[in-house]
Formats: sequence, structure tokens, C-alpha cells
Amino acid sequence: MPKQFLAALFACLSLASLNAQTPLRVAAAADLEPVLPPILVQFESSTGIHAEATYQSSATLTAQIENGAPFDVFLSADLGFPKRLIDAGLADGKAVANGMDVTHENFPITYARGTLVLWSRKDAQLPPPSLDLLRSPALKRLAIANPDRAPYGRAAVAALHRLDLYDALKPRLVTAENIAQAAQFVDSANADAGLISLTSALTPRLSADGSYFVIPRDLYPPIEQGAVIVSNTKQRAAAHKLLDFLLSPAVQAELAKSGLTPVK
Amino acid sequence: MDWQAFALSLRLATVTTAILLAIAVPLAALIVLGRGRWLAAVEALATLPMVLPPTVLGFFLLVLLGPRTAFGRGIAAMLGHPLAFSFDGLVVGSVIYSLPFAVQPLVAGFASVDTALVDAARLLGAGPVRLVSSILLPLARRSLLAAVVLSFLHTIGEFGVVLMLGGDIPGATRTLSIVLYDQVENFDYAAAGHTALLLLGLSALALAAVYATSQKRGRAGSA
Repeated sequence: MPKQFLAALFACLSLASLNAQTPLRVAAAADLEPVLPPILVQFESSTGIHAEATYQSSATLTAQIENGAPFDVFLSADLGFPKRLIDAGLADGKAVANGMDVTHENFPITYARGTLVLWSRKDAQLPPPSLDLLRSPALKRLAIANPDRAPYGRAAVAALHRLDLYDALKPRLVTAENIAQAAQFVDSANADAGLISLTSALTPRLSADGSYFVIPRDLYPPIEQGAVIVSNTKQRAAAHKLLDFLLSPAVQAELAKSGLTPVK
Repeated sequence: MDWQAFALSLRLATVTTAILLAIAVPLAALIVLGRGRWLAAVEALATLPMVLPPTVLGFFLLVLLGPRTAFGRGIAAMLGHPLAFSFDGLVVGSVIYSLPFAVQPLVAGFASVDTALVDAARLLGAGPVRLVSSILLPLARRSLLAAVVLSFLHTIGEFGVVLMLGGDIPGATRTLSIVLYDQVENFDYAAAGHTALLLLGLSALALAAVYATSQKRGRAGSA
């Protein structure tokens, strides 16, 4: 009896996996978590391709892909990590299908640019976010993302250096694992302000709790977000369709609303 | 090897283990010697930190200890500084996080002590403190040792809570496990390998030494 049951179960499971179309697996940088889900829904309704995203830091996703994680597309929060995969022969940025973009095979496809903002809670006993807030002695703790690997953390440190504030603020910096955690440090009022992504600052939760100031773009190198196709993919056509879709004017406009700067 | 982080991890584990013993010995004695159904609830509560993912526990602590709660403001007023992103904050987090690893071995050890001995001591007029210090602890030495070793090592290896509550400040909250994680995430696999190997090697030596001494004592005691 148990044997028959197991056999039946096994049959069901294998049928289920035969019937279900393998989804397009997208490895997506954590800053896309507030942005990507509705875009993937639209993608499915316009192409019939079901895509599933995994959100992690770009560094973690890179290490996973290096070790054979079954992703088809990697949407990084920078260009360095996807370039690393290309150089290792594990991914490529081959030209997008319908000739919309002329891209170099050996370079990631830039699909958006990130914006760095200074964010603080509205009820903090501090002046509203501005460059002056960064100079204020009332700022006791400033949260940033890990500058060793989080692109926004790198941008934050570059901006502080450009403002000649890095050495003065260094003892007051608290480093979070990623942008989302940096935002949590500030939203829980444990840090006074944070240098985070505009995508985070525009989420319903954070826009209700606080306000942001856009850090002038000339203060940090552009946060270019690059995409690559994982070489082992069995769904290259679908992967190209997704990149095309991301670069289409409608979706680029949507990215702009969520806090990413369009590249088109 | 980041020796500053290594020293910090040792200090955190030592302070945490000392505080945990001060809490866990009376708590375990209460659970074993006490009567009443509420004790089951106490034991359940003391085991609960194992259920939550450590980063989530760290996040709850970050919010609870932060200036947005009366509790957090009270503690900050008492200490003169907020708990988050400080060594003291890590101690609080570690004590909660490792509590089950101190309480569970002690409860098991105390419960395995012959009740006839406990009853006899009670009849002879031993109070709860005497019961614990003269009967339970000496007879449950191995469990006490297990509680110390598990609490200490669990705190050395603690990661999620520190990540959430610490803010990665060198000398204050950057523990060895954070350094190790950073090395892995930064693709510095050689450094990560060295750090991990050294940590594992030192731990193996220390553990072997502890267990060797305790076995000798065990034989001497029973002879």
C-alpha cells in the first residue's frame, strides 16, 4: 500500500512538473524588489512568459551564479558584478533581439540608473534632509549600505568624500548589509538619517514615514544597473524578450516613477 | 585575520555566557523544582528564540530597543546612550538569542538528578539556593559544562542578530562572524578560508581541552 501510494505521488509530481512550463528565472538586485514585481506581471500578460524573480544583494547573486545557480537573467544593481560574470565566461550581454539596442557582447546592458537620496523620518528632531543635515553636529548616526559591495553604499561614500565630510562622519557611520537594512536602521529611529536608494524612499512605507533629498548627481559616479544573460540558460529567446521589455519606453517610464532613472 | 574582531567576539561571548549562566541556572532550577502549569509556559518562552530567523529576531530587537518605544527610550536614558549599534546592544541581543542553549542543557541535567536526593536535602532543611549549589549543580556538572560551551560557541558564531543590531562598527560591533561573512561576500575567499580555518582550529583545541579536563574531574568525582 505505501509503495503504491508513493508511486502515485511520484507520478503526480512528475506530471505536474511536465505540465508546468519552466518559468524564466530572474536574479534581481535587492533595490529592484519594490519595482520589478508589477513589471513581471505586465511582461507575462504581454508575452505569456512567466518570470520568477529572486531578490538578493548583487554580490550574493553573483556568487550563486558562479556556483551554478539556475538563473536565466541577472539584473544587477551595478556593472561590476555582471562584468565579473562575463569575464568568467558565465554570462553575456549579447545584443537584444529586435535591434533596439546595440550592445557589446562583453559588456552588461545598462537598463537603468540609480539615484542616491538622503532620507530621514519626519518625526526626527532634525532639520529636513539636505546637504546641510550632513554637516550638522545634530546628526549622530548616519546609515549607509556596505560600501565594499553595495553599489549605493559605494556611491554614498564617494559623495561623502566629494563633500569632504567622510572623515568627520566616519565615527558616526553605521553600515548596513544593504539598502533595505540601511532604511530599517533609520525607519526604526536607531539612525538619524540614511543614504539610501530613491526606489526605497518611494516605497509606501518610507514615503509615509519620512522625506528625502536627492543627492546631486555630480557628487558620485553614476550607479549604472547592468543586466546579463546567464550563459547556461535554456531560454535565451525568453531572456532576450525580458531585456527588450525592460528597455521598452513604457517600462522605462514606469522605472522612472519608481525611482530609477531611465536609460532611454 | 582581524584580531580586533577576534578579541571582540571573545569578549562578547564571555560576557554573554556569564550573564546567561546567572539567568539560566535559577531559571532551570525553577522549571525543574517548581510546581505549576505556568512553568511549562516559562520553559516554552525560554526556548522560543530558536524559532525566529536570527535576522528577524535582530530586526525586532532593533525596533524594541530603538528610541521609538518607551522601553528603548528608558534603556537609553539609563545607559546614557542608545543600545543599537553598541557593544551593550549586542550583549542584550546575544543573551536573548542564546538563552535556549543555556537553559535547555541545564533543565535536562537538573531533571536527571535523582529526586530522592533532592527530597532528602529538602527534608534536612536545604533552601532552594543550597539545593542548587550543593545538589543540582555538582551532580549536573556535564550539563553545566554543556550550557557554558553551547552559549559561548553559539555567541561566537552568532551572525544574523549582530548584522541587524550592530551596524558593523570596528572595535564595537564588528565581530569575527561579520568579518568572515564580509570576506565571503567580497569574494575574498582566501582570507575567508584562513579566518574560518583558524576559528575552527582554535575552537577544536579549546573544546578538546575543556572536555578533557571535565572528563578527568568526572572520574575523580565518581571514584
